[in-house]
Amino acid sequence: MAKETQTLTSVAAGDTWRISAFVGGECKQLREMGFCEKLKVTKLSNGRNIICFTCGTKLVLNRKLADQVLVIPV
Amino acid sequence: MITDSSESNTVALVGNPNAGKTTIFNALTGQSQKVGNYSGVTVSEKSGKFHTPDGRKMNLIDLPGCLSLTPVSVDEKIAASVLMGSQAGEKVPDVVVCVVDASSLERQLRLVLEVIELGLPTVLALNMVDMAESGGVRLDTALLSEELGIPVVPMQANKGKGIIELKQALRMPLPALSKHHWDATYEGRMSKIGVIIEAAARRSDSDEYSHTTSDKLDSWFLHPFTGWLSFIVIMLSVFWSIFALSEAPMGMVEEAFGGLGNWVNSVMPEGDLRSLIVDGVIAGLGGTVIFLPQIMILFFFIGLMETTGYMSRAAYLMDGVMTKVGLSGRAFLPLLSSHACAIPGIMATRTIPSAKERFITILIAPWMSCSARIPVYTTLILLLLPGVSFLNKALMMLGIYSVGIITGFIAAKVLRTRIPADKEVSHFMLELPSYRAPQIGYLLRQIASRAWSFLKRAGTVILGLTILLWALQTYPKPDEGTAAAEDSALALEQSFMGMAGKTVEPVMKPLGYDWRMGTAVIASFAAREVFVSNLMITYSIEEDDDEDKMNQSLRDKLVASTWPDGRKIYTPLTILSLLVFFIYALQCLPTTVVVMRELNSKKWAIYQLVGMSAFAYVAALSVFQIGKLLGFE
Repeated sequence: MAKETQTLTSVAAGDTWRISAFVGGECKQLREMGFCEKLKVTKLSNGRNIICFTCGTKLVLNRKLADQVLVIPV
Repeated sequence: MITDSSESNTVALVGNPNAGKTTIFNALTGQSQKVGNYSGVTVSEKSGKFHTPDGRKMNLIDLPGCLSLTPVSVDEKIAASVLMGSQAGEKVPDVVVCVVDASSLERQLRLVLEVIELGLPTVLALNMVDMAESGGVRLDTALLSEELGIPVVPMQANKGKGIIELKQALRMPLPALSKHHWDATYEGRMSKIGVIIEAAARRSDSDEYSHTTSDKLDSWFLHPFTGWLSFIVIMLSVFWSIFALSEAPMGMVEEAFGGLGNWVNSVMPEGDLRSLIVDGVIAGLGGTVIFLPQIMILFFFIGLMETTGYMSRAAYLMDGVMTKVGLSGRAFLPLLSSHACAIPGIMATRTIPSAKERFITILIAPWMSCSARIPVYTTLILLLLPGVSFLNKALMMLGIYSVGIITGFIAAKVLRTRIPADKEVSHFMLELPSYRAPQIGYLLRQIASRAWSFLKRAGTVILGLTILLWALQTYPKPDEGTAAAEDSALALEQSFMGMAGKTVEPVMKPLGYDWRMGTAVIASFAAREVFVSNLMITYSIEEDDDEDKMNQSLRDKLVASTWPDGRKIYTPLTILSLLVFFIYALQCLPTTVVVMRELNSKKWAIYQLVGMSAFAYVAALSVFQIGKLLGFE
């Protein structure tokens, strides 16, 4: 597993990561949904919309939004 | 905020979507709930009453779901403004119950902190504790209460657990305000949440994602192939059920009205009053109420998809299709709801953050064939395809619905290029709740509520219209001794309805309709449901106990009707033209009023009404005239 920071879009499905930061103009929308730094997130599937699991909730994120979520290994 | 003990206190339920507010609301209020509107905006206000253990009556209002008090969508703005006391006509609640999904506290505590910061007495309803604990969250509700400074009530609302404890927490004296303070900024709140979670809602080391039953179901329902297959099968099953399961109850309704008509005929002397009751009220109302079973079945399946969690999966699947026409999966639920009724569908667009997408969705929503069109479609399908199987009827119905949907999507694609982009970009995001067993009690209450609304409308608007239509058809009465006095068809031609019909016939004839169908079409602009009622009145069908004979009679009359030159009027092509007209015409003034309010624009509401009506006319005209040119009749 790579040790550097990656976007949620680029990591493989099935792995668990920790959110390190948000980049981009739509971060507010992510924060509204309850995404915040230091949360663990498991990516469940790739595709046009990404399905991920965090804090007991399964969420669907558009790829462009997922591109704004930076993650680091847990 | 504590009021005189002789007055009721108001409790507001607030929380994230899917946290269980509605379940708690239903558990507390039972049958005493009612639905109204917030002033100035068509946002449903759900309110009810309950009693605390010390006998005090409390008013309960269920606020729209919101993620925070920094609102984005219209219904979030309503929730925030009610809590802040800035909503016209609404007083600030005396107590706020924050409903939180215990398995997702990190995401949902932010709203709780914001509510506490408002300085309102607050109780935390910690719902779904069973799911939190099975998900590896170690809850300490006493510590949580200590950290927040407010009462915390652990609950499993879907099983009725915690309801009594919640009522206990709301008894007099009302909960004291929290004495805790924190930095009321985003960072300050997140820091406070971190402390609270660490102390009172830690996740065990085994809180990693694990494959649950919901995930196994999602591997099927969200798969690119099986997901779509399931979606199509489910939709087809819904339409099949609308026909197959409704046959027996529709027969019972028909017999009941037929029997009532016969009884009135037997006990009342012949005359205008008897004719009004039998040929006007009973025939007219019967022609509408008979479709109640089909409408209830449709509402049942929509409710089933919502309460089980499948609706979110359907929205996920549809996102790919809807993106191609400038919408997103978020528009799926409002458009699907519009198939029951455009009014709640249009109101459901409040959850769409993008103003442009919301605007387009509202404009195309009336093209999602609503339940009021079911009587029209069913009657015309039976005329077009007599004696075919339920499956073929269902396929025909699915085809009719698809025409409206596809046209709506094409219109959305065109509108997308003509409407300015949003100032703030909004991307598709959706929560996929766990699948749940359907709450049958809640579903049945919803269906009963819808059925009652339908019957109330039948007993008021439809009844008024059928009486009016009967009067227009009956008067002026022909003089004694004239040919019209002996020939009911001739008498009808000379009535007010006949005269009006003959006047509009030149406009309707190019669509393939004669004056009788033309008056039925025009009358249906007041209410689509009266279309069939009007046909029955206009063709002076006599009520008969034998349903097949009565239907046969209407079908025979239509099939046998001819123009003066002997050509048949109601050919398959004419029926198709009628179907196309009803798919596209906006024949619902209440929808126009709601659009006016939601868009805050009379101009666009009128454009929509006139535009869709004109489109319906041109489409029906094209179908008939092109069909004729191609040699179809």
